[in-house]
Amino acid sequence: MTTAMESSQFQSEKMTFSVLSSSAPVMAPRVGKLALAGRKTLSTPHYIPLTSRGTVPHIAHDMLRKETALNSLYIGLEDFITKKSPSPVYNVPVSEDESPLRRFICASDDMPLILAPRRYPAIPCPPNNTDTSIAILTSVGFRQLPAHQYLDSVRSLKPDIAIGLADIVYGREPGVKRRAKMVDRTHAFTQDALERLYGKAVPAEQKASAAYFAPVLPLDNAQQSLYLDDLQDELKSRISGLALYESASLSQIPESLGALPRLLLSQPGSPHDLLREVSLGGDLMTLPFVGECSDAGIALDFTFPAPSDATVSASEPRALGIDLWSADNAKDVSALSEGCECYACRKHHRAYFNHLLNAKEMAAWALLQMHNYHVMDLFFAGVRDSIQRGTFEEDMRSFTRVYASELPQRTGEGPRLRGYQLQAGPHKRGPRVYGRLDDVSQKFAESQSSIATPDTDASGLEHHGFAQKA
Amino acid sequence: MSADPQPKRMPSALTLHHHAKCSTTKARASTLDLPHGSVPLPIFMPVATQASLKGLTYDQLRDTGCMLCLNNTYHLGLKPGQEVLDSVGGAHKLQGWDRNLLTDSGGFQMVSLLKLATVTEEGVRFLSPHDGSPMLLTPEHSISLQNSIGSDIIMQLDDVIATTSPDHARIKEAMERSVRWLDRCIDAHKYPETQNLFCIIQGGLDLELRKQCCAEMVARDTPGIAIGGLSGGEAKEEFCKVVDTCTSLLPEHKPRYVMGVGYPEDIVVAVALGADMFDCVWPTRTARFGNAIVSAGTINLRNSSYANDFSPIEEGCTCTCCRPKDQGGLGLTKAYMHHVTAKETVGAHLLTVHNVHYMLTLMGAARQAIIEDRYPAFIRKFFSDIYQGDKTKYPEWAVGALRGVGMDLLED
Repeated sequence: MTTAMESSQFQSEKMTFSVLSSSAPVMAPRVGKLALAGRKTLSTPHYIPLTSRGTVPHIAHDMLRKETALNSLYIGLEDFITKKSPSPVYNVPVSEDESPLRRFICASDDMPLILAPRRYPAIPCPPNNTDTSIAILTSVGFRQLPAHQYLDSVRSLKPDIAIGLADIVYGREPGVKRRAKMVDRTHAFTQDALERLYGKAVPAEQKASAAYFAPVLPLDNAQQSLYLDDLQDELKSRISGLALYESASLSQIPESLGALPRLLLSQPGSPHDLLREVSLGGDLMTLPFVGECSDAGIALDFTFPAPSDATVSASEPRALGIDLWSADNAKDVSALSEGCECYACRKHHRAYFNHLLNAKEMAAWALLQMHNYHVMDLFFAGVRDSIQRGTFEEDMRSFTRVYASELPQRTGEGPRLRGYQLQAGPHKRGPRVYGRLDDVSQKFAESQSSIATPDTDASGLEHHGFAQKA
Repeated sequence: MSADPQPKRMPSALTLHHHAKCSTTKARASTLDLPHGSVPLPIFMPVATQASLKGLTYDQLRDTGCMLCLNNTYHLGLKPGQEVLDSVGGAHKLQGWDRNLLTDSGGFQMVSLLKLATVTEEGVRFLSPHDGSPMLLTPEHSISLQNSIGSDIIMQLDDVIATTSPDHARIKEAMERSVRWLDRCIDAHKYPETQNLFCIIQGGLDLELRKQCCAEMVARDTPGIAIGGLSGGEAKEEFCKVVDTCTSLLPEHKPRYVMGVGYPEDIVVAVALGADMFDCVWPTRTARFGNAIVSAGTINLRNSSYANDFSPIEEGCTCTCCRPKDQGGLGLTKAYMHHVTAKETVGAHLLTVHNVHYMLTLMGAARQAIIEDRYPAFIRKFFSDIYQGDKTKYPEWAVGALRGVGMDLLED
């Protein structure tokens, strides 16, 4: 690891990305600053919090502002598309230059907003993408999002960053023919988007204010070389960043595009995966595992670099998280992680989390989200320090030695998932108990949940001091 | 009823300071000093059933101005149970809430929720739902659990039956038994210096029984007094008569709590009848179905008519959600609430904040009106807002109840 301080800079009207330290333009860890006009500056590597319908799941707006350090939002346009057109998000009354999207979701003025066509992780849609549209899942079902509508949205909703439309196949491996089509379509989407948003023919006042992140497909280099060549020649002047769908793509970035920020949409499964992405030069990460852990009652518990006093044992590496469903926590009045300064740890202890999970109280997920994001804040701060110190590779090796390779297994139930939140993979929707009377069934479920039926037998009740055997 | 009640003097961990009394109605404004802070009366208490208020953090609850909330003994007895409560050091420490807590006795849930529960002189007999073993919940169990919970106000175990029960003999028995159980609760109460035991007046809708019960229980000198057995589907006229009858017999210097009530209209009228404290799950439960409480009643934000309504939930509301951004609020709109309600847990959190804030603000405004001796005008405005000034729509029970305390709701 070298400590060379070569700095490069990418600058456009609304966005500046300065790389403060890196040994090479590509394939090496680097520290940077992403500055967007009028918004908080992001120190990279960092993560972009994922939203659902404009909220970071479980964290109410006031708590987010007061008690978290979240400093950007990833927003899927599909969350805002309704049956009736135009959808409400397009009708928000705003002053000139104000983002209707920001106004609609009531985000604070300095929060960078990153708009993508789809939520992340995106849920596979049975309908296929077409040459002029992609399939999306809204809260009222599947439909097509025409490319021109997405571009109109980028222009009118005024996010700070827009992630370009790509023809991605979700939920299965595309075949050879399909892969060729992915490249052709994505290439065409990108060319068309850049022309319509920023082209010479577009009057200055109608040019999009958003910085455009061009997609790099999750394919190998040879397959998309024509597209990548075009990105570095014809299209380079109009793109402000790259959106990558797998970490392997980090090795395909042409050197001439090395100054652009790289946003990863790669579903990392653990902090180890994140470190690998950082080591290959990733700047902005998305972390679905944080929300999944919170839902599952798992408090993340790791630091980077790993604590130096950590006793390393190959047979029993440190767990990356604590399963708060475990009865071990029932009387434990210690914080989730020792010395943690997050809101949840300042105010509460493990016994409360164990109780909230058992009682299926929503506060469990809200508090865990705040803790887990705080752990990630510190993790990325540690990563940045480590890169600047020039000890990243060494720190990464010791992190791998000290910590378990995977997050703890989920043992408990999470919140009820709604259709638009369902993903392929570990989450399976619970058995459908009620028919189509959603409103009625909810009230019924509600009335049931307030009838706490003892889940213990007579001896248990006696032990709890609840009653005695008669 | 025992001829010789042998009143037991008990210490009190509260003080009630009176500030004003309405010169027309029986409404009172006071401040109740409890071990975890002062509570302005009259007050609405939100219900944090299982030591959590439906997704809110306790700082969000503080921001609504809440000084006193409820936990349910029945639920905390099941989860996390007495052993954990003792080990953690009580419910305040369990949930990280440093303001006041009130717990019910668990009897109400027991009888209404567990089938096959029968009440005997010893206590509530029921079959353990898991293994069918016969079990017994006694007044001593309830107090012991509430002592472990450590709530600032604890309730006696009472013999609860529906007010609508036609069985007069059973109602009388329940009233008398509640008095006897109060004595057992007083005996079992370990921490009277830090926890205030409230008796519960029973007697169904029979005003004679209520009067007898008041006499018996007042003689036992508990720090506070609750009127129980209401909110069970009885006619509102009957409800008002019971509250009015009881408050006339209760000592001025003790707080009066009407259990399980209720809707804003019920509370505003019951305050005029001389009651001080109220609790109800309705404002927080209805929030989770997308209903926002506003001065004109309730609105359901799931309704598509709000999809493009970019005004706050209620114009002029000072809650965190409705207050505009430039006043430090979130500036949320009905359109956004429509977007997240019943789809994201955050939607429930935000509407819960609004509704609890609404109830507490309503109580604060009522209190101020009493202090300034304009409570009748406050009530008239309140009803006029709900019914858009159409007096023909005013509920008769409210008109009648208020007339009984010297006020004509229909007057201009």
